[in-house]
Amino acid sequence: MPKSTKNPTRKSPQDLSSGPKLTTSRRTVIKGLGATAGAAAVSLHAPFVHAQQKTIRFLNGEPTVESVRAMKFAAAQYEKETGVKVQMDTVPAGKAFNKLQASLKGGRPYDIGTLFFIGDVLILAAEKKIVPLNEITKKYTWGPKILFPVDGNHYWYPYDYNLCWINYRRDLYEKAGLQPATTWNQLLENMAALKGKGDGMTDNGILQPISSSSATNYLTFGYMWAQGAKIFDDKWNVVFDKGDVKKAAMDYLDFVEQMTEYMPTGISQAEWGVGMRGLRSGQLSHAPGTGRAIDVIRTTDPKLAQKIGVFPFPDSAGKNVAVNHGYDGWVVFDTPQTEEAMKFMQWFSDEQLINFLHTSVVHYQPTRMDIYEDARWLAHPALEDYKHITEWQKRFLTDENVIIRSIDTEGPYADLRAGKVFRSYALPEMLQNKIIKKMSSSEAVDVAAAKMREVIKNS
Amino acid sequence: MGGDRTILALFLFGLAITAVMIIYPASHAIELSFQKAESFISEPEWVGLDNYVRVLSDMEFWDALRRGMVFSGWAIALQILLGIGFAVLLDANLPAQRVVRAITILPYLLPTLIVTLLVRWMLNDPIGIITIAFQNLGFGTVDWYGSPNLAMGMVILVSVWIWTPFVTISFLAGLQSVPESLYEAAKVDGASSWQRFWHITLPQLRPVLTVVILLRTIWMFNKFDIVWLLTRGGPLKATEHLPILAYRKAFESFDVGMGAAISTISFLILSVAVFIYFRLFPLDQKD
Repeated sequence: MPKSTKNPTRKSPQDLSSGPKLTTSRRTVIKGLGATAGAAAVSLHAPFVHAQQKTIRFLNGEPTVESVRAMKFAAAQYEKETGVKVQMDTVPAGKAFNKLQASLKGGRPYDIGTLFFIGDVLILAAEKKIVPLNEITKKYTWGPKILFPVDGNHYWYPYDYNLCWINYRRDLYEKAGLQPATTWNQLLENMAALKGKGDGMTDNGILQPISSSSATNYLTFGYMWAQGAKIFDDKWNVVFDKGDVKKAAMDYLDFVEQMTEYMPTGISQAEWGVGMRGLRSGQLSHAPGTGRAIDVIRTTDPKLAQKIGVFPFPDSAGKNVAVNHGYDGWVVFDTPQTEEAMKFMQWFSDEQLINFLHTSVVHYQPTRMDIYEDARWLAHPALEDYKHITEWQKRFLTDENVIIRSIDTEGPYADLRAGKVFRSYALPEMLQNKIIKKMSSSEAVDVAAAKMREVIKNS
Repeated sequence: MGGDRTILALFLFGLAITAVMIIYPASHAIELSFQKAESFISEPEWVGLDNYVRVLSDMEFWDALRRGMVFSGWAIALQILLGIGFAVLLDANLPAQRVVRAITILPYLLPTLIVTLLVRWMLNDPIGIITIAFQNLGFGTVDWYGSPNLAMGMVILVSVWIWTPFVTISFLAGLQSVPESLYEAAKVDGASSWQRFWHITLPQLRPVLTVVILLRTIWMFNKFDIVWLLTRGGPLKATEHLPILAYRKAFESFDVGMGAAISTISFLILSVAVFIYFRLFPLDQKD
């Protein structure tokens, strides 16, 4: 059938010309101008942005392919459901705060950002650059030591714990008939039993970094927390070199010195991942680390991943155990889009958080206790396959005998003073003084405490 | 007239780029050095010379300055010595001369990050080729960054490895301009190889030497990447010089003002050194 080219509802120019004659009087012109002016005036109150599609800018700090994919999927889903676009930018974790600072200084701040250091959150909160998330956080039950309230407000939404523990070669332990260490001596004995040449043996026992770096702050002090050391009292006085605390720190230093017998060279330069690479390659029987390493090995070499077990850092007497605290979270900035950003955070928290957590399921240990019972989260097969690890993770939060501490979260409440001690590297330098400079444990502790006092004196 | 306008336009363009990329950031850094701020977004507080007083009364600063002078002094001296030696060798009629010259400049062409990663791998325990070679030679397992002196030695050596080719090329270019007749005359007079080098080559290379030392001093004194990538200033701050100290203060220790003050003082030290250097070795000296 030939296609008609004529639109029956539209008049052709010829039709129009054949209609009633149009007359243009002065009144008609004035009326037209008045109507136009009125319409323009009515539209004046509507800012330009109201005519635009709303956009939230989100700085993601988790750069793995799976995590970026999950975040982009969430953004697309949110746009589909609400019409609000979520522009998802990604940077490596260590670059996030600098990028956020640059965006603030540049006058175009992100609406949501990822942070990995509580000191950065405190700076942003103090400068009123971020807004409290109380309305969202109050809806959930949270694990211990994770919300870091500031004057009663929760300025961030933590999404994982990122705890640090000791990974060990479970297969070698079983072969040698060893048990996970509950004391320092037992750990040394286990390392000694597995050190050597040949099948089932490793070149060295463990690698604990002592460089002046975040890696050392994070990976090496678990034994010290288990032994009962602490940095501040309830009034922010440095008590690291006082009484029993000093004794605990000195014991710890003596123990680390003993451990160096089972460490490879290069501990003064070691950074993230070096120990886990040694564990993976069979050169080490133990390595401090987090679930991230487990996830990496799990996805590339599942058989090896099954051979890795975890236990918390022991103390000398077998009374306490500890894990070093880590944490990652999101903050919402005070911008014209804050309200939209809060809506997105609430939606993401309910609808997409678990998908995101699943992208690195052992590493992204939930901070919300309700998630541990959530069927959607439990559905991930790795949680069952790696039960020997994931069961420990929940116990780290629920067992009162497990100490969760870290340098940057020390003190009676979240405060930049702890952050300053963290970034001063006073404690890694204490290790270097003991191991490289051969300083006595007592003097090394005193030097570290003096430096801590120095860096917080103007706070 | 058209040519003048083009030159003026290019000059203004260059001036604008310099203003945006150098003058504004430098003046902002100087401004920050008179302020107290915990981060780049904190509301700064004007503190006058307080940051400078703190820096100059801090032993960390003087230690870092001393380390920087040790690092740059040794690195420059070795680069110059080796650079001249290699240039003289490459100037000779070697077989496959062009290939050898091309290989010589290779470290200079590689990004610093690649070179430092290569070095770290070569020194790695237990798989580094140099570490294994030392083990096989009976030196045991050397912890290359495990002692302060060794760590400083390593950053100096890596700097020499990367930058000696630049010095070599500069001197090689200088050697090309030395008239052959001078050597021939010296030979006729019975001068030995060493005498020809000492009395002809070196004096003829003096203008190049002056510029190379100047450039290498500025670059080595401000060198951040090699040290940061290799040692991050450790162990026990043994390789922490002024650029690393400034970085740590500004970006890690919540003390932007002090970091800026250290950078400003570092700039002043270098400016004074360059001024004195120019007075001692003026570039326009033709003799």
